[in-house]
Amino acid sequence: MPLTLELDSVTKTYDEFVAVDNLSFNIAEGEVFGLLGPNGAGKTSSIRMMIGIIVPDSGAVRVFGEPLSRKVLDRVGYLPEERGFYKKMKVIENLVFFAQLKGLSVSEATRRAHQWLERLELGRWASSKIEELSKGMQQKVQFVAAVIHDPDFLILDEPFSGLDPASSLVLKDALLDLKMQGKTILFSTHRMDTVERLCDSICLVNQGRSVLLGVLNEIKASYGRSSIQLEYEGELPLLKDPELVASSNDFGNYVELRLTPGADAQRFLQLAMRTATIRRFEMVEPSLEEIFIDTVHSTKSVISHA
Amino acid sequence: MRNVLLIIRREYLVRVRTKAFIIFTVLMPLFMGGLIFLPEQFMTSGSETRHIVVVSSDPVLAGLVQTELAASRNGGDEDEASVIKKNNKPDFEVSVATAPTEELRHQLIRKIQDGNLDGVAWIDDDAVTTRKCTYYSRNVTDFVESSTVSRALRFALSQRQLSERGFSGAQSKVLLSQVDVDTIHINRSGANKSNGMGAFFLPFLLLLGIYMTVLIYGLYVMRSVMEEKTSRIIEVLLSSVTPMQLMAGKIIGVGAVGLTQIAIWALSGSLLGTGGMAVARQVIGNSMKDAHVSTSVLWLFPVFFVLGYATYACLYAAIGAMVNSDEEAQQMQFPVTLPLILCMVLATAIIRDPNTPLAFWLSMFPLTSPIIMFVRTAVDMPPTWQVSLSIGISLASLYGLVWLTSRIYRVGILMYGKRPTLPEILKWIRYA
Repeated sequence: MPLTLELDSVTKTYDEFVAVDNLSFNIAEGEVFGLLGPNGAGKTSSIRMMIGIIVPDSGAVRVFGEPLSRKVLDRVGYLPEERGFYKKMKVIENLVFFAQLKGLSVSEATRRAHQWLERLELGRWASSKIEELSKGMQQKVQFVAAVIHDPDFLILDEPFSGLDPASSLVLKDALLDLKMQGKTILFSTHRMDTVERLCDSICLVNQGRSVLLGVLNEIKASYGRSSIQLEYEGELPLLKDPELVASSNDFGNYVELRLTPGADAQRFLQLAMRTATIRRFEMVEPSLEEIFIDTVHSTKSVISHA
Repeated sequence: MRNVLLIIRREYLVRVRTKAFIIFTVLMPLFMGGLIFLPEQFMTSGSETRHIVVVSSDPVLAGLVQTELAASRNGGDEDEASVIKKNNKPDFEVSVATAPTEELRHQLIRKIQDGNLDGVAWIDDDAVTTRKCTYYSRNVTDFVESSTVSRALRFALSQRQLSERGFSGAQSKVLLSQVDVDTIHINRSGANKSNGMGAFFLPFLLLLGIYMTVLIYGLYVMRSVMEEKTSRIIEVLLSSVTPMQLMAGKIIGVGAVGLTQIAIWALSGSLLGTGGMAVARQVIGNSMKDAHVSTSVLWLFPVFFVLGYATYACLYAAIGAMVNSDEEAQQMQFPVTLPLILCMVLATAIIRDPNTPLAFWLSMFPLTSPIIMFVRTAVDMPPTWQVSLSIGISLASLYGLVWLTSRIYRVGILMYGKRPTLPEILKWIRYA
């Protein structure tokens, strides 16, 4: 499988601050890849290096097997984290301008812009000025700007932020469609549920370094079915017992937890039933959110110990 | 190259289509005209009849003053006040009193205070020898009124003295008439009859024109950079174009708007042509009479506009890239705008004498040269080597400036948060 993106020991330093530290990963053609991490982990800096906005201090970035060039970048679509349009210009004018910069002719750009706007239920807004649109609508227009030149590689920085559920659904369907067409997609997001449903592989970065990398299913499997989801009524003081519970995320009548290695799930259930009524008890693979919090916490402690 | 053209096109169309462009295109000539027209209109505000009493124990002298003041309305001789239109001069209604007592003086002053009288010209008995009189008026700031009165007094006193020495009225009139000096402006292309005020005003207007266009279009570039930076359009743009292409496209696009505007002004000016000028002279009076500027100014204006604009556009683009808010932009743009303001401050001195060492060096210094050298060519075409040297220095410094500011621009547009310090900016320039 040819590689769409190769990051090879990429490092970027601003003054003293190391934004991206020796980051390496590859994305195969047709893959949907999630770039995850807490705020300030270096996600946006990494993405900016993938599209040549900033140049790494060391390491190499290759797209479609070639070093970055304008020609290669014409095949890349980019949705930035912060939305940006010329507010005084019409939606269609903005889209045609950005599409022309990617090499499209005016007529082709206009045709595709209308097509995409219809599809995202924005058809009647084409001749409105950007400033007249709501934030969610601007977001969808921004997405159109990223895909209008039919890129083979799509980079999306927080694509779902600020969208209502209905719009999210429309966007998700559009993305799935692109995935079916064999496009390679890179996401950066905090929304673990979306990543879990859409992504094939992930890279979790923290403080500029990759802390977890691989195919999503394999990562989850490696954690085993050591997670417990529990719906209950009453008190569960044993969640605080370190001999049984390694970590927990308690919502009051629902809890997700991981058992301490060696602890017995049946024994935990028996003890729990003494203080609470159990409505549901299930042993599952950990959710990505759990893995995320767990990994970020453990790398933090590693770094603070070091 | 295609990208640069696309950016130029967008910058150009977006601006030309705005109401601001149309309004500015129309308003600028009106504003310029207003600068000359309005002060003169204000001067005529006191054109209603002035009631004046001339007090002198010598009835002949008082009579002379009376006649002279009455005549000032429709002629008399041209004078230092020739800038002012004749019909701007106030009407005088003059009465004479020949018994100068202290009591009368108090009476008249009271009348002035009450507003029943506009002025009193008090001529003491020894005035013919001391040549000292007193003029009482509520309105001492109206220099047209007081200068007219003063001139009438001077004329009357001199005529009285001359007639005492046996000169006839006609003889003394000749002796007292103003000497009419024709100023002939000699330059390399020949001689032109020129009126001092007109020769001053036209270059001044041209200076104002180039100053305003350079400043306004320079600031447009800054606004445009800031818009892209604060609205984060820049990230989308930079995934398609290089910072250099973006900056070049922006500066050329906005500059083309400026040239369009200048072309519209020049074209409408020449269409109105002599007819327009004739109307303007009617309205403005004869201050523009014989105002002459060599035709080379017509093509030098766009040349120096482009040089001046490009220089300041680079600087303003760099500032736009450095700042995050309007407040910061205002602080940062001041030092850059300073040389431009300096040009305006020194304008009068340079138009009066365009060949001083100061004028020479300012017309070589890159930040002032486009404006100062242009004014010098408008007043009195300097030697060709000076003009070429000035343009050469401008071009060379522009080359350096583009290099310098594009580096600041490239890093600055992606930097958010606090305003960069000078060491940080120096570091940006050193980034490869």
